[in-house]
Amino acid sequence: MAVTLEKMRADIAEMIGEEPEAIGVDDNLMDLGLDSMRLMNLILLWQEAGVDLEFGEFAEHFTLGAWWNAVEKRQSAS
Amino acid sequence: MTRFPLTEAQSGLWYFQKLEPENPILNTGQYLEIVGKLDVDIFRAAFDQMVGETEALTLRFAESAEGPVQFLDPSTRPTLGFVDLRGEVAAESVAHAAMRKDTDTPLDLTRDAIAAFTLFQISDQRFFWYERVHHLAIDGYGWVLITNRVAELYSATVNGTTPAPAFPPLEQAITENADYLTAERRETDRAYWHDYLANLPEPGSMAQGRPVSAHSFRRHTMHLRGEVLNNLRSVAQAAKVTWPDVLTALVSAYCQRFTGTAEVVVGVPHMGRLGSKAARVPCTLMNVLPLRVAIDDKQPMPAFLSAVAKDLIKARRHGRYRSEQMRRDLGLIGGARRLFGAMVNVQPFDVAPKMAGLDVTLHILGAGAVDDITFTFRGDANEELLFETDTNPNLYSEEVTRQHGERLAAFLTNALKAETLSEVPTASTDEAQRFIFDLNATDHDVRDVSLTQLIVEGMRKASDAPALRFAGETMTYRELDARTAALAEKLIALGASADKIVAVALPRSFELVIALVATLRAGAAYLPLDTEHPRDRIARILTSAQPICVLANDETAPLFDGDIPLVLPSDWPSAPSSQELALPAPGDMAYVIYTSGSTGEPKGVVIEHRAIVNRLEWMRTHYDFGAHDRILQKTPATFDVSVWEFFLPLMCGATLVVAAPGAHRDPAAIAQIIRDEAITTLHFVPSMLSAFLAWPGVDGLKVSRVFCSGEELTADHRDRFHKAIDGELHNLYGPTEAAVDVSYWPAAKDDTSLPVPIGFPVWNTRLYVLDANMKPVPAEVVGELWLGGVQLARGYLGRSDLTDDRFLPDPFRPGERIYRTGDVARFRADGAVVFLGRSDHQVKIRGLRIELGEIEAAIMSSGLARETGVMAREDRPGDKRIVAYIVPSETYCDDAIQRHLAATIPDYMIPAAFVVIDELPVTSNGKLNRAALPAPSFEDTGLREASGPTEIMLAALFAEVLGLSEPASADADFFALGGDSLLAVNLTLRIQEVLGRDAGLGAIFEHPTLSSLASFLDADATSDDGLGNLIKLSGDNADKSPLFVIHPAGGISWCYRGLARELDRPVYGLQSPALDPKKSLPESLDKLASAYADAIRTVQPQGPYNLLGWSVGGIIAHAMATKLQAAGDKVGLLALLDAYPAECWRAEAEPDERAALRALLAIAGYDPEAHPDLETRDDILAFLRAGDSPIGNLPTAALDGVVRSVLDTNRLVRGHYHQRFDGKLVHVRAGNDHHGTNLTSDLWSAHAASLRVIEVPFKHSQLTSTEATAQIAPQLRDLLDTETSR
Repeated sequence: MAVTLEKMRADIAEMIGEEPEAIGVDDNLMDLGLDSMRLMNLILLWQEAGVDLEFGEFAEHFTLGAWWNAVEKRQSAS
Repeated sequence: MTRFPLTEAQSGLWYFQKLEPENPILNTGQYLEIVGKLDVDIFRAAFDQMVGETEALTLRFAESAEGPVQFLDPSTRPTLGFVDLRGEVAAESVAHAAMRKDTDTPLDLTRDAIAAFTLFQISDQRFFWYERVHHLAIDGYGWVLITNRVAELYSATVNGTTPAPAFPPLEQAITENADYLTAERRETDRAYWHDYLANLPEPGSMAQGRPVSAHSFRRHTMHLRGEVLNNLRSVAQAAKVTWPDVLTALVSAYCQRFTGTAEVVVGVPHMGRLGSKAARVPCTLMNVLPLRVAIDDKQPMPAFLSAVAKDLIKARRHGRYRSEQMRRDLGLIGGARRLFGAMVNVQPFDVAPKMAGLDVTLHILGAGAVDDITFTFRGDANEELLFETDTNPNLYSEEVTRQHGERLAAFLTNALKAETLSEVPTASTDEAQRFIFDLNATDHDVRDVSLTQLIVEGMRKASDAPALRFAGETMTYRELDARTAALAEKLIALGASADKIVAVALPRSFELVIALVATLRAGAAYLPLDTEHPRDRIARILTSAQPICVLANDETAPLFDGDIPLVLPSDWPSAPSSQELALPAPGDMAYVIYTSGSTGEPKGVVIEHRAIVNRLEWMRTHYDFGAHDRILQKTPATFDVSVWEFFLPLMCGATLVVAAPGAHRDPAAIAQIIRDEAITTLHFVPSMLSAFLAWPGVDGLKVSRVFCSGEELTADHRDRFHKAIDGELHNLYGPTEAAVDVSYWPAAKDDTSLPVPIGFPVWNTRLYVLDANMKPVPAEVVGELWLGGVQLARGYLGRSDLTDDRFLPDPFRPGERIYRTGDVARFRADGAVVFLGRSDHQVKIRGLRIELGEIEAAIMSSGLARETGVMAREDRPGDKRIVAYIVPSETYCDDAIQRHLAATIPDYMIPAAFVVIDELPVTSNGKLNRAALPAPSFEDTGLREASGPTEIMLAALFAEVLGLSEPASADADFFALGGDSLLAVNLTLRIQEVLGRDAGLGAIFEHPTLSSLASFLDADATSDDGLGNLIKLSGDNADKSPLFVIHPAGGISWCYRGLARELDRPVYGLQSPALDPKKSLPESLDKLASAYADAIRTVQPQGPYNLLGWSVGGIIAHAMATKLQAAGDKVGLLALLDAYPAECWRAEAEPDERAALRALLAIAGYDPEAHPDLETRDDILAFLRAGDSPIGNLPTAALDGVVRSVLDTNRLVRGHYHQRFDGKLVHVRAGNDHHGTNLTSDLWSAHAASLRVIEVPFKHSQLTSTEATAQIAPQLRDLLDTETSR
């Protein structure tokens, strides 16, 4: 089961109580209310979906676009 | 070597450490307990790699001209110590001791390595990996990064996997931090916090004391598991918030139970780096964000949680803006002023790292300073949360720390099951058991009989003994028995019987006692009437009570209309029939006492025999009363304290000594009767006791026991009592609704309680302190006092509505009742109840809850007042202010009391006005009569208001002596306002008291108007030593607005005399309180400036204010100007004579005593550089004494004061942060100085809206010389005229 950009968008939206359309790839997710705890939960969610992710990789760049790049890299490497 | 400035996060820590170099609390540390086959070589390799990646671990620090800097010093790179403890007897203890020793050793940050790591091998398969890093190099999140990195590298080697990339360099974080300082983002964040923190309340404290970190902290550790975690996760999910935010919200709610404020402000640590390049850099970036939580405990829990979570989300979004900066923005600098109280630290990532093949547990040793109390939760909340309660040992005992930990755990458990916070008790189950049941285990067998029976038994036993004494006459028990029986028979004939009422309107006399006892023997209840009350009120009481008759005398008879039968003593039979009277039942009414109702309609409290018998039998036994006692009856019968005075002696066969009518208000008469009649026991209302103790004739009186009740007995009363009187002092408490008293406290000589408690319940009585939801509270938490037990009144006569309102079912003892006192109280840890005032004595001003009693205690502790009463007045609707009424002691002055209060209570509690009065008005019961306290005047009358210290003083004295409702105006004529020669004598006496010298009666006739009398007094002020806080340097052109000049470092402003003479307007000099050896400077320059701003308002009540200061005086003037502006006042001229902002001096060494002594030379007008030989204190003082400067003539104590002022003022300057002055700052620059320094006028641009520079060709030290004045004064004169004519 792969993690897709749209799944990530939907999961993030769910986590911060927004509609998926409201989340652009370059939006600063912290401004949208995502905090470290929610980020942790997202990573757990995506780990369950089979992508081995590091909190640190995600912490530096708080946009969906940057995260998708990281996830894509991991998925293509495995 | 590249040097970086400190990040904002580091700066605060640096200064904290610099202030207390010996404090090791910033040595943060932890250890991993590792169990299994640890490969030490692989571990060491992993460790070395982590250290290689973590530049922060090689940081060193240094001071520089630009402030503290940091740089990397590879020579301090930590290595892994290894200590093999296998075979040691107590290997674990040895390891712990070594860790503690290292953690407790303060570091020299400029020299020592910032970090240390040791691996202790406890046994073959057990290791402690100890890590210690100074907080300047790493924060909580950094700890997780480095520890997990070692674990990750170890596991990668063991498992043959690839670890994540190395940590980025430290510079990345430092640059990121520097970028933020100038980013637009920071401005957005600042604006957010500015709005969020508007009207920030005091954060509220859970403990008394100064919240400044000690060298260590206390810790209580618990593990939360099972149900509470399941509920935490499900409640979080249901409320759509994260569980850490749920914890933060609930912990805040818990804290609010202790602060008692409507809103609580907690600190929430924030990692401060998500979404930035610093996210993976181990370093110190942690911020602490203030979180305001307003509690509405009826709100549904999910709504409460989600509201708090929303605030947290917003806070994090703006979370890089430093809380230190927020404090500066709010002016909360120095001392105990702070942004938040408790800290709530939830660390979901702080779990033990996973290491391949090993079992790892994490132990946190220290996480930095604990200013107050910090609740920390570590872990992912799946299996377990580690819950630590860390406290400042100066504020919380070990016991209280443990209690907070356990109680909060219980609170969380309950709150996570509750629909609203109101359902959640503050007290733990054990505490509820203790405070509701154990302390109230007062069951005691008391004979179930009537009071009548006890009195009759007493009379029969003591028949020939003296029962009553009055005005030198004696009545024996035999006679009392006969006369009361005879009158009882008459009353029965008039219809007296069970639950019928006989009204009594008699002054203190034998007849009064006979009337009361006879009524009880007739089986009826007595109703005492206060004959000094208005007829109308008496009539309303009679209509409501419907007595069968009134026992009156010739004087009181006219108060009554014809409808009710009057029985006068002349009608009383003296011989009874031989028929024995029947005794009432214990459940019959014994007496009815009317108390004032809040609606204005008096309420009749009905007390049954059983209730008062319990009270009297308790008192007889508890205090061991016997036939030898002589008890003074001086309390009016309408006040229920009189009940035991009347009947306790009769039960005991003792002697009841009846004081003359009116004697209860006359200290001399009371002292006389105590001596003449060998009184053993008497009662005082505390305010009357206070007046009694103030009377010189009481010294050396000896009595067995004095009881106080009816009002708060203060510690001051207690201590004065034991100084003057040889006897026991007992504090009793109880409302009329609970048969006189329900609690007792021995206020013994060695009692040091502050405040004096009302103590413990009497027999068969319960004291509950409950919160607004009728739930028990633990010790030290304020709640409302409820009473239960046998002494409760039946209710209010004929007013079942009022009865139902105040007497409720006991929620803890089914079938019983409790009475709501309306009094605010708390339990002490030992279970004694402390009365904190009426709930209406507790007021809110601008939303802040204020205990007036606390202000009163603060005033009394100053020693400046003999008595005081503080109240919140609302003389104009919506304008509520605190007013203090003060009966002054000899040392009283407005200034001193202001300073004392500023140092002891929060700003918002300082009264808006101090009204000096001769005595506090009391009610007929001797209680403080708040309604009779005069309104102070804040109003503009249209007449010229008194201004200047002397006029203002006279305005108050005129009002006092003439009985005016507000201070007199400057134009007031003493005689025109009703003064006569007798009152003029009073006025001269008061002037003498206040000024310490006799103005002379003639002066008042000569200068009847206030302003002229003031001028006369001012002109006559020859004894002025010139060391006052506010001195007049020039009185020219009194119609022009004055200039206030502020002293330089030495604290004296005489240096401005020459300048003052040249300015054509009044000039006042402010001088340092440090000149007085008994006083100390406030703790910050801001506070000093506030005090000065207040001082100048006494001279000039309204702006615009003109300010000038030389050197340090300029810095203070600038601070005063910003204070005045912040208070809405205008500032005219702000002129600084060669002063430079505080930041220029912050890094400079503070002057030592030698430097301060040499500064004295400059202050005295000498050039210190011309006298390099004067080194020692004695040399310098001798030189000054020999010279002719005015300073040289100062008393030694004042010279010491100058030295002290130099030292203290310089210290304050270094801790000062300027607010911005919204106006033009005039800088007079000493052009012949400062070459080669960076001291420029332009430095002020950062602290003022605009700047005007006047350069003069003098040195700094010459600026107040005659020559310099000649150049400066004309320019200032022009500026002043323009500024003030605008």
